[in-house]
Amino acid sequence: MEMKFDGEFNINQPRDKVFEILRDPEKFAPLLPTFHSMEMKDSNRANLKVKVGIGSIIATATTELILEEALAPSRIRYTGQGKVMQGAYQMSSTFELDEIDGETRVRWQGRTVLAGKLLSIAGGGLRSYAEKEINRVITSLQAALAPGAQTAEIRVPEENWFMRLLHFLTGTHKQEATDSQASPATAADTTMTYAPHPADTLQSRKDSIHKINRILDAGCNAMKPGRKEDKRLVTGQGLYVDDYLPAGALHMVLVRSPYAHARILDIDVSRAESLPGVICTITGKEIAEHTTPFTQIGPEPSARIQDFCLAVNKVRYQGDPVVAVIAESRHIATDAAQLVEVNYDILPAVVSCEDAQTDTTVIHEEAGTNRTWQGVYEYGDVDQAFAGAAHIVRIDHLKFHRFSSTALECNAVVATWDRRDQIDFFCNTIMTVPIAMIAPALDVRTDQIRLRTHDIGGAFGNKIGNYPYMTLAAFASRKAGGAPVKWVETRSEYMQAGGHGGERNYYDTEVALDKDGVITAIRSRHVDDCGAYPRYEPLGCVIWSQVLPAAYKLRNVRIDFSQVVTNKGPCAPNRGYSRLPHMWFMERVIDICGHELGIPADEIRLRNYIRDFPYTTPNGCVYDSGDFVAMLNRARDIIGWDDWKQKQQQARTEGRIIGIGIGTTLDSGTNNFAQSQIINPFLPFSSNSVVSTVKLDLDGSISASVSTFPQGQGHETTTAQVIAEELGVDTDMVHVKTGFDSERNSHSGTCGTYASQFAVTGLSAVHGAVVKLRNEMKKLAAYALEANENDLEFGMGEQGPEVRVIGTGRGVNYWALANMVNYNKASLPEELREISLNVRHTYVPPFEAPDVEKKYGNLTLTYAMQLHIAAVEVDPQTFKTRILDYVIVDDCGKVINPMIVEGQVHGGTAHGLGAALLEIMPFDKDGNVLAGSFTDYAPITINNMPDLKCSNMQTPSPFTYNGAKGMGEGGGAPLHAISAALQDALYDQGVIIQHSHNSPMALHDFIREGRQRPVTTESR
Amino acid sequence: MNMSESTQLVPITVSVNGKTCQRQVEPRLLLVEFIRETLGLTGTHIGCDTSFCGACTVIVDGDAVKSCTMLAVQADGSEILTVEGLERDGVLHPLQQAFSSNHGLQCGYCTPGMLMSSLALLADNPNPTRKDIRKQLAGNICRCTGYQNIIKSIEAAASAMQED
Repeated sequence: MEMKFDGEFNINQPRDKVFEILRDPEKFAPLLPTFHSMEMKDSNRANLKVKVGIGSIIATATTELILEEALAPSRIRYTGQGKVMQGAYQMSSTFELDEIDGETRVRWQGRTVLAGKLLSIAGGGLRSYAEKEINRVITSLQAALAPGAQTAEIRVPEENWFMRLLHFLTGTHKQEATDSQASPATAADTTMTYAPHPADTLQSRKDSIHKINRILDAGCNAMKPGRKEDKRLVTGQGLYVDDYLPAGALHMVLVRSPYAHARILDIDVSRAESLPGVICTITGKEIAEHTTPFTQIGPEPSARIQDFCLAVNKVRYQGDPVVAVIAESRHIATDAAQLVEVNYDILPAVVSCEDAQTDTTVIHEEAGTNRTWQGVYEYGDVDQAFAGAAHIVRIDHLKFHRFSSTALECNAVVATWDRRDQIDFFCNTIMTVPIAMIAPALDVRTDQIRLRTHDIGGAFGNKIGNYPYMTLAAFASRKAGGAPVKWVETRSEYMQAGGHGGERNYYDTEVALDKDGVITAIRSRHVDDCGAYPRYEPLGCVIWSQVLPAAYKLRNVRIDFSQVVTNKGPCAPNRGYSRLPHMWFMERVIDICGHELGIPADEIRLRNYIRDFPYTTPNGCVYDSGDFVAMLNRARDIIGWDDWKQKQQQARTEGRIIGIGIGTTLDSGTNNFAQSQIINPFLPFSSNSVVSTVKLDLDGSISASVSTFPQGQGHETTTAQVIAEELGVDTDMVHVKTGFDSERNSHSGTCGTYASQFAVTGLSAVHGAVVKLRNEMKKLAAYALEANENDLEFGMGEQGPEVRVIGTGRGVNYWALANMVNYNKASLPEELREISLNVRHTYVPPFEAPDVEKKYGNLTLTYAMQLHIAAVEVDPQTFKTRILDYVIVDDCGKVINPMIVEGQVHGGTAHGLGAALLEIMPFDKDGNVLAGSFTDYAPITINNMPDLKCSNMQTPSPFTYNGAKGMGEGGGAPLHAISAALQDALYDQGVIIQHSHNSPMALHDFIREGRQRPVTTESR
Repeated sequence: MNMSESTQLVPITVSVNGKTCQRQVEPRLLLVEFIRETLGLTGTHIGCDTSFCGACTVIVDGDAVKSCTMLAVQADGSEILTVEGLERDGVLHPLQQAFSSNHGLQCGYCTPGMLMSSLALLADNPNPTRKDIRKQLAGNICRCTGYQNIIKSIEAAASAMQED
């Protein structure tokens, strides 16, 4: 096969100078952007090493470059030759130089000859592509030869044309075009220069600007690379929903209820609609006529709850959306929303969990009760255990408070329901379940819905609650004639309605212990408060039971669990969802029992910890692996447990209040969705599945998509790690799609980023896909190389990433493989023609259906663990808690990426510490939101965060291919540890830590008000 | 009151990342809205509506400013630097590289504000203590990292720039 190319260009340089550069391989070769190194054989002959690659796949290749002719000052000819892909290439390029009007005209010719079997499979039909590449190379050559160009420093946009062509034909072409395309002129445009403003006479301002300019120019030493995601995020190039504004987009603003519970008497939108720029308004009446209430997960009677995307007839929490206003701009929509008039008949608000349970005021009349679910979880022989107990500890009431991880980006969506009846959501939801919620509500097929995300500014579970707003925005788009409708929640709206973690109350807890302080049984009654609409609830009524006995070996448990609605914002899963409140309860139980029986906090835990793994819990869950004892020992060593106990005694004599406390927690990951049948036997859900697609794209570059919705967990990075490891390439060569897109066809119904599962489900799907891809590549390579599949290996070669015969240089690279499959099918034998190099794998965890009647079964696959120890001091005047020392030991099995794991541990700890000491969503008796802004809510800041001492242990999970466990939710150990530390500090003052939130005011009330002691202990 | 109908637009001129921008703006337009919506520089983010979170922090005339707490008309005549102006010729600023290298970001939403506040800190104080860093960033909320690696990132950037 032979290809010829030619052309010419002019350079404003003397011919001698141009000739001098072109004729000297030592000057000419370094101009190639792919230049790596060269070894001159003699003045006319060099072995040239160049970096070549597909996409970002870079390898080095060797070519023998010979200067055949150098007729000064007008003619230069190079030839080159080498071996590639079981074939050979020869090439030549000629430059002829003429002087015209003081300039130099360069006429060039190139010729390439390729021969060999592989080249005939993979090398044809490339002429127009090659020509385009050559043009780019010539442009760069012109730049290099132009006046003022310093040959040594020139950055040539593309590699030399014949190398480029060669690399292309041999399956090794290069990218990196973007940053090198900047000409000197455009580089100057982006240089930061501050022209002083004429009005500026203030020296201080000039000084400030000068300081900033100086630091902007700072250079720095090399640092190690971070995650794949980071470049776009640190340069302001992330694409969050609010950054996306398609042409013709309209803006939606909501009118929300000022009352927690009220009947809507009438709504007047006429003034709002008459404002210029307003397109339309939507009220609940219209929504009730044209949409179907959202599917309820709970059984009768909560299944009768009618939940629409706008309030219909009644509002049920402060912030319940009543009217949507759609306008040409957000400002106009905001103005118009203020012109909407709504008359309400105010109803009594049900705010406390206790009031809700009385059903004196029923929030959803159609259900007839505020209770959404009730069931008893009973295992072992509880009453017998109590009959034989040496000690019984009774705790009247414990309470886990309402708070929210408050992702910095609020809920948002751009919805387009176009006239072709397709609905596009560019949004920040975090799982595919919304498709199943929205499609029936809008009466469309799921395949009419395109759901996509890009960068998400945190979610922590909360954004599952975005789907009513997504539904409303889609409805608005259709009403507005198919224009995109953008809705971005404000922080104030979020504080009312954006999704808080639910509150839980624990009543009448009784704990049976033997004479050694080993817990033998617990009986208790737990009530969740899920806010005004269940939405994702009452799933929380079963999810806690994934960690039923917590870290402890008790076998007899009876917990009466129920859930109620109240006139507060609807809850959403929040980091540690449902398990965290239960773990906190169990940690309070063991901690209070220890104090009551006079057994030190570490000792009572050691006596009760589960020690043998895998461990089957009383309700059939299997804790896969772990070592609580080793974690506790390590944490005690790091913090210096015994020293702290001494310091505590010393401090007491000085009137200081110091305590040290332990929090042991579990982070159960990878749900068995069959547990939902324990809530509602009619739900058709079981197990779990996550999908990934991995392919060699048309040009052989490695491309992957995963059906998850990352929000900072670094899925692109870890996905690339898994693929790179299997293929023996660098992670830079693996391109992972950002975010989720249902049109990638890489998802199932339960895909998402939730419940600590990516390291297991996501990476198992990726791994399964890359293994399938490897098998396909091997089949193709075996054919192309006339070799046996078993004799092949994957790795990097001179042609970039390749499949080669072990121990030989005979290999075929990815471009060639992709070309055979995508462009050159007839070259393949019949049995290889179905190969696509585009594989999809669905990971399904090994779950069985649980026994719904007995509430027994394996509900989650993996159990990561964390153990925290906090040393705190309470100021006796202000009751402010200060953290003096803080240690974390975490074990999430085999760690895929230590940096990311540690980051998750830090983040979960910040959420827990914030919740324990600062963050709470309080309401007054009328249901008014009392933390309506960040200023009131006080999310934890850098000033409140102590320095954390972290240590990692690894007990691999036997249930996952990679030994990893999901670990993102963390299990909320800071709440346990801080409560325990405060308990340790204040027990001798008669204080029992009953609440998960312990602000200075709460501690003041506990200590000063002298409440009735909520704990009694009976020893027999 | 309906402001949309009768609002008079006000001409302003600002220098943003070294480029002069002249626009007519509504008097109520916040600087952050001007940067994001009028100029299309969406790297500056909005995370709250009470000037608490600091995601919108930019440099105005050499000082770190929460751009949601300033009107665009107040910035008339100012020189503004946003996160998009940190990179030079495709090379990350040491702070940007340090945040990446030290995992000082997860979701990235707070990161532009963190970078700009940190830049202002290092401009005044090239060798800050942990206490200095905490004080400077007290108005920047991050909900992912627990701040540990943000502190580490700023220390690393300071150190790298000193060695340079």
